[in-house]
Amino acid sequence: MQPEKFYYDNKIVRNFGIATIVWGIIGMLVGLLVAIQLYKPAMNMGNQYTTFGRIRPLHTNAVIFAFVGNAIFMGVYYSLQRLLKARMFSDVLSKIHFWGWQLIIISAVITLPLGITTSHEYAELEWPIDIAITLIWVVFGINMFGTIFKRRERHLYVAIWFYIATFVTVAVLHIVNSFELPISFLKSYYLFAGVQDALVQWWYGHNAVAFFLTTPYLGMMYYFLPKMANRPIYSYKLSILHFWALIFIYIWAGPHHLLYTTLPGWAQSLGVVFSIMLIAPSWGGMINGLLTLRGAWDKVRDDVILKFMVVGLTAYGMATFEGPMLSLKQVNAIGHFTDWIIAHVHVGALGWNGFLTFAILYWLIPRIYRTELYSKKLASWHFWIGTLGILFYAIPMYWSGFTQGLMLKEFTQEGMLKYPNFLETTMRIIPMHVMRSIGGTLYLGGVIMMAYNLAKTMLKGSLVANEAAEAMPLAPNYTKAQDGFWHRTLERRPIQMLVLSLVVILIGTFVELMPTLTISSNIPTIASVKPYTPLELQGRDIYIREGCVGCHSQTVRPFRSETERYGEYSKAGEFVYDHPFLWGSKRTGPDLQREGGKYGNAWHYNHLMDPRLMSPGSIMPNYDWLITQKLDTSNTADKINAMRKLGVPYAPGYEKVANRDLNKQAQDIADNLAKDHIKVNSNKEIIAIIAYLQRLGTDIKANKTASN
Amino acid sequence: MKIIKPILLSALVLTGQPLLADDLISGEVKNYIGYGVIVFMLLVVLVAMLVLLRAFKVLTKVLLGPAAYAELQAEEAAQKAGKAKPKVSTVEKLLSLKPLEEEQSLIMEHEYDGIQELNNPTPAWFMGLFYVTIVFAVCYIFIYHVFGIGQLQYAEYKTEMAVAAKEKEAFLAKSANKVDENTVKLEADAATIAAGQSIFKQSCVPCHGDHAQGVVGPNLTDEYWLHGGSIKDVFKTIKYGVTAKGMPTWEKQLSPKQIADVANYVESLRGSHPANPKEPQGEKETEEAAAKPEAKTKAAMIVGSK
Repeated sequence: MQPEKFYYDNKIVRNFGIATIVWGIIGMLVGLLVAIQLYKPAMNMGNQYTTFGRIRPLHTNAVIFAFVGNAIFMGVYYSLQRLLKARMFSDVLSKIHFWGWQLIIISAVITLPLGITTSHEYAELEWPIDIAITLIWVVFGINMFGTIFKRRERHLYVAIWFYIATFVTVAVLHIVNSFELPISFLKSYYLFAGVQDALVQWWYGHNAVAFFLTTPYLGMMYYFLPKMANRPIYSYKLSILHFWALIFIYIWAGPHHLLYTTLPGWAQSLGVVFSIMLIAPSWGGMINGLLTLRGAWDKVRDDVILKFMVVGLTAYGMATFEGPMLSLKQVNAIGHFTDWIIAHVHVGALGWNGFLTFAILYWLIPRIYRTELYSKKLASWHFWIGTLGILFYAIPMYWSGFTQGLMLKEFTQEGMLKYPNFLETTMRIIPMHVMRSIGGTLYLGGVIMMAYNLAKTMLKGSLVANEAAEAMPLAPNYTKAQDGFWHRTLERRPIQMLVLSLVVILIGTFVELMPTLTISSNIPTIASVKPYTPLELQGRDIYIREGCVGCHSQTVRPFRSETERYGEYSKAGEFVYDHPFLWGSKRTGPDLQREGGKYGNAWHYNHLMDPRLMSPGSIMPNYDWLITQKLDTSNTADKINAMRKLGVPYAPGYEKVANRDLNKQAQDIADNLAKDHIKVNSNKEIIAIIAYLQRLGTDIKANKTASN
Repeated sequence: MKIIKPILLSALVLTGQPLLADDLISGEVKNYIGYGVIVFMLLVVLVAMLVLLRAFKVLTKVLLGPAAYAELQAEEAAQKAGKAKPKVSTVEKLLSLKPLEEEQSLIMEHEYDGIQELNNPTPAWFMGLFYVTIVFAVCYIFIYHVFGIGQLQYAEYKTEMAVAAKEKEAFLAKSANKVDENTVKLEADAATIAAGQSIFKQSCVPCHGDHAQGVVGPNLTDEYWLHGGSIKDVFKTIKYGVTAKGMPTWEKQLSPKQIADVANYVESLRGSHPANPKEPQGEKETEEAAAKPEAKTKAAMIVGSK
């Protein structure tokens, strides 16, 4: 048999690489803006398109799906070809994948500031974009498996196992969390409501971290680290064990995002114990990486690329230990809803994803350009300034998280909350937020240095768009090798690998989701809980549009400190008409689940116009456009119809008279405001959002005897 | 297997320990009993293991006969002596790593794009960690969902509230803080007024204005009151709020003493005539009004004619 000659496609790798850098800078810049908004409300810039609530999802989407997403495709397209000794299956599909993904990102950049959002965290994009993501993901899958089928290497290396698991799980997660009923081109409601919706979302949200930020990066680590250090992988057996254990266990851990909510207790406990069991499988990746460097530590001293890898792996190890600790109920009670979580995710994002991406870029760009890195010194500066940035970011956020978490729980001897006013805790942590933005600036500065360094490198060399390679074709008849460890069999059967991964992740999915989604006794209903009035429904959609859920939770946990502060703890039956649920994941401001009736309409009007009028020192942006913008009532009937289809018991034909009720309720509120000398037309958006806020949590107040 | 048992037990103890509190037997006593039982059990297990070990030794001696036993001992001694050969650093030992020199023999046959893999076993401590977390998980589920020893969130909440109520009562019984709308008295001493003023500045100014002239909420300095102007009425209004009109409930945010202070401060402002007062709301109430019913009617007429 003759060796075959073929060419690796480096151009697609380069394109994804450039996209990684560009989107990285944009995403982090937006991150810096939202960080500053948290202590300088003026940075919301006085218009609706740049307020925190709308921009924060832009930051998370840009860094996760644009920066990390493009980096994944860069790493996969580079390593897959070389590990399989084959060019990518189809250049056309590669191009469609690249441009399709960039278009999706651009559509996010346009729709999110416009307030077009589903409100599910890390899944904010509306249904047409969801469909586009699905299609592009399928293109990626075909391209990957096409390449696998024409491979010249019999067995699949561990990196590829991780890529396969990533592909199949992200597909499942994305599709299930996109079950939406469209009411117009850019508006939809989730099929599930309340507790069920929350469970699906955090099953998705947690595993987006697992299968978008973790498994593809582990795969890349397994290819690039041994290449960079020129060392063999420490343990083949460890990689088998931690791969299967990781993907099996990860999928179960989602409910740890919903501890002390109305999620059934058994589901919460499953979330806790699977998080704890996740420590070892997660660490398996770190150990295998760090021990691969055994005997090469002298190289780490000199090589900035390896330094990035070591800090990245260590950050991964810290974050994957901290995560399970945060899943313990007692720890979660303090840490949840505070900056502690922000610190935790950024150790992972800045350390693990960021530093690994930088290392790979520094390693790969000079190689595909057949040249040396423009400046090693600059890269070294990037490493130190980046590490410093992470520290300056994480430490103040931990500090801030503990401070606020403990302040909110403190009681005086008289049995009163020590800090009954939430704002006091907000003001206490402002210095930490200033520090954090300095850390973020340092980190971003490092990335800009890298962009300059790599641009110079590209200009210095010239791209080898098609890199020549040679390999023997696969023999048609395979005779089993002597070292036949059982797992080797699986490694030469990609389809079985795919199916088995799918089965492994579906076990946890079914056991955890199905009972809550299908057995009604898991969500006890409450007779006094009624559907929203048309005006409240419209107000709720404004609440969603403005991203209020980014700072205000709507779930009172059963703690003394919360029931004293906010009122009666939440009941599962209260959320049955909430498509989508709006429990939130962070309390930058107070919880709003029991907001209804706490203040007068005039208070809300003034507060939304300028929060500092009613709460001096507040960091909430002004929402003055709600006063001038007219409420769009043309879609009320569609919304009522959609809700009815989802099981909300509006009377048949109600959609025809809904706007009459809406106008009446709006007029009542306007009249009430007029008594306080506030003249506002009843057709403005602010009336609708006041109606919604005044409704929140009142169903239960009306009928306290209802059982939970 | 010997290791698993104590781990299982201690995991049980650690996770179960904060949850033993119950009202039937006093928690402390129950704790002592629990600790006693656990220590006793551990001792029993330890003794049992020692006895078993000894028994095995004796048994081997008996079964093998004296000659064979001496041989075995010599073999063991030789093994011990022979073990001292390759030098392994403490860190490597702790991590159960094989020396680097042996690496060549561990390299596996396959390679991918030049990447080789070693046939190292999964480190023992790593497996240990994994097993411990699994044991923890099983114990956790058993404690919370099978034996029902652990309190789930709603039971936990009940306990927390009960403890807090007891503590609060004990504290209030000792202090002068126990004031309510029936016992509150008009006071005008400087300390009370100053305390009231600082609370007013913090909590009331946004709605009632910095001089209580009224903004969203009513003017508090005139003679017109929506919900009564006596110290008892003002105390009550602050404490429970009038949610229909936008006055929040302060019961949860201010202590009884603080409510009394701020009510007294409000009383002290009567007739202070601040700039830009809000127009009168409610009914006129003066000290004479209480005495002369016709004055009250007149006031009502003024309001009505507006």
